Amino acid sequence: MTRLNLHKLTKRYRGKTEPALDDLSLEVESGSLTALLGPSGCGKTTTMKLIAGLLEPTLGDILFDGRSILGVAPERRGAVMVFQNYLLFPYMTVAENVGFGLKMRRVDRATIDRRVAEMLELVRLPGLEDRRPKELSGGQQQRVALARALIVLPKLLLLDEPLSNLDAHLRFEMRDLIRDIQRQMGITTVFVTHDQEEAVVLADKVALIFDGRLQQYDAPTAFYETPVTRRIAAFFGGVNFFQGRRNRKQFDCAIGTFSAPRSAIADQPGILSIRPEDVRLAEAGAANSVAGRIHSHVYVGTHTRLRVSVSGGHEVCVVTDAEVMKTHKPGDPVTLRFPEEKLWVLPPDALVEPTAAHREDTRFGVTKTKGCR
Amino acid sequence: MRIALLLGPALVVIAALFLGGVGLGLARSFNYMPIIGLDDPNLDAYAWVLTDEDFLLSFVLTFHIAFTSTVISAVLAIGAALVLRHTFVGKKVITFLFQLNLTIPHIVGAVGILYLFSQSGFFARIAYAAGAIERTSDFPALVFDPYAIGIILQYVWKEVPFIGVIVLAVLQSVGQDYEALAQSLGANRWQRFRYVLLPLIMPGVLSASVIVFAFTFGAFEIPFLLGQNHPVALPVLAYRSYTDVDLAARPEAMAMAMVITVMSGLMIYAYVRLSRRYLRAG
Repeated sequence: MTRLNLHKLTKRYRGKTEPALDDLSLEVESGSLTALLGPSGCGKTTTMKLIAGLLEPTLGDILFDGRSILGVAPERRGAVMVFQNYLLFPYMTVAENVGFGLKMRRVDRATIDRRVAEMLELVRLPGLEDRRPKELSGGQQQRVALARALIVLPKLLLLDEPLSNLDAHLRFEMRDLIRDIQRQMGITTVFVTHDQEEAVVLADKVALIFDGRLQQYDAPTAFYETPVTRRIAAFFGGVNFFQGRRNRKQFDCAIGTFSAPRSAIADQPGILSIRPEDVRLAEAGAANSVAGRIHSHVYVGTHTRLRVSVSGGHEVCVVTDAEVMKTHKPGDPVTLRFPEEKLWVLPPDALVEPTAAHREDTRFGVTKTKGCR
Repeated sequence: MRIALLLGPALVVIAALFLGGVGLGLARSFNYMPIIGLDDPNLDAYAWVLTDEDFLLSFVLTFHIAFTSTVISAVLAIGAALVLRHTFVGKKVITFLFQLNLTIPHIVGAVGILYLFSQSGFFARIAYAAGAIERTSDFPALVFDPYAIGIILQYVWKEVPFIGVIVLAVLQSVGQDYEALAQSLGANRWQRFRYVLLPLIMPGVLSASVIVFAFTFGAFEIPFLLGQNHPVALPVLAYRSYTDVDLAARPEAMAMAMVITVMSGLMIYAYVRLSRRYLRAG
């Protein structure tokens, strides 16, 4: 069980003007499971390689239990990485692959054999010792890679996109397995992912990184309920953003006036946001509601996505019951209620026009979650 | 069927030129040549060749040349490839110079070795001029010598870039992630080389080594130019028998050629098997 601290970590690659990682500070609690989340190229894998010692930071420090490990060679750090493409040694059997780390430590053969059997039992692959990697499925290869990392009882387990190469069914299975094993062994684990759903389901805490900078480090629910910026909200599937201002107990915005949530600062501009799944269909005239007309609807099995045109040419995206598909059709008038406790006002700095990267994040976020588009 | 048709022309050329030649040579080695009345095949030529002391001495010398050249070339090539895969100032120039040998014919290299390393060569003269030796003939015999040092030097000079280029290509395709993984699992520099890199590049090294071994075992011109008079390398011995004034020696020359072919095949097989077993046993 190791506590990890990243202190003002910066990494610049030669020939690049922008740092791959910029002043990142983070504390990972001992025995926890933490996700480094962000779009491709945001610096999350760089962070992992810095922790493992495979890269040297330009500035900053990395501490295990309060002690800097920058001077410690990667092979003696005890931070073991499981790569995205597993990297099982093709010329070794499963047993030889799993026992590799112990062999490098010159552990005797009998102990290695016993520990290999234990590890294969742990990852639910008993009896596959003599197989070659090419004889295994993707999921099995992933488990062998995990067993190979766990057998050395690492201080820190680093997983690079652990589920991205697996199909949907195996993802669920592997996700549960990683959680179970991590809880059971109590190994401090950091994994990188570009999939917010994966991060939310698996991690105790999520560190969201954009453009090499830490944006928010929080419990998974916070990214849905209390995102720090519009960009973060958008990355997590938020699509309803309306500029406005708080006036006393009200929040006036382009589509109407609503009860001001506590996050709104008095007499300050802000962006009112509400997640699509928090918008309710209500009777006309309900409090905190807005009238509109269904522009389009999409049935996605477990729910229906509505795009509702409201005043001022704006649209509100709604994720609601699958049954709505049968009772409503495009063109029907509807009333949308915004529950006060679900409203969230993003700070004024979020008013800036989204950058190209931001738009990309937004598109990506919507695609991966229950957005309207 | 389509594949057979497409491969047909190439296969016909190979069969006619290669297998045809081997077939005729084989018939000749069995003393079988009906066109001149030899229609009673026998193993006399083989019996003579395999009991001949010169042949056995030549075989040992040839094996020594091929094996030593291959091993030294492979080791140096792996070392060079490991250096050249890294990024450093002047890498392009160094890589170009490293590969330059590939374009120079063996025979040119042999002449170079002769000029540089013979007892009247460049280094002998320098040593003499520097007063290190009293006569140029005191310079150690590196050419026409019993240990075939000149021949091996020439082969190493030529084959290091050949194996090196193949190993370099394999190294680049393997990437550095395997080593990074092994390092994070606790492998030190030597362990990463021995247990990760070497097995990963070994198929490429073996393929290239097999080609070098087969070539150096069967090549004629370098031992002919740089070798001593007795014993000589097998291909030189076979050539001498073939060009002997005594036409009766021709079946023996052919038998030698067949033995060289079979021996090359057997040794390559053994080399590959042993290397793989060694790697697996790790």
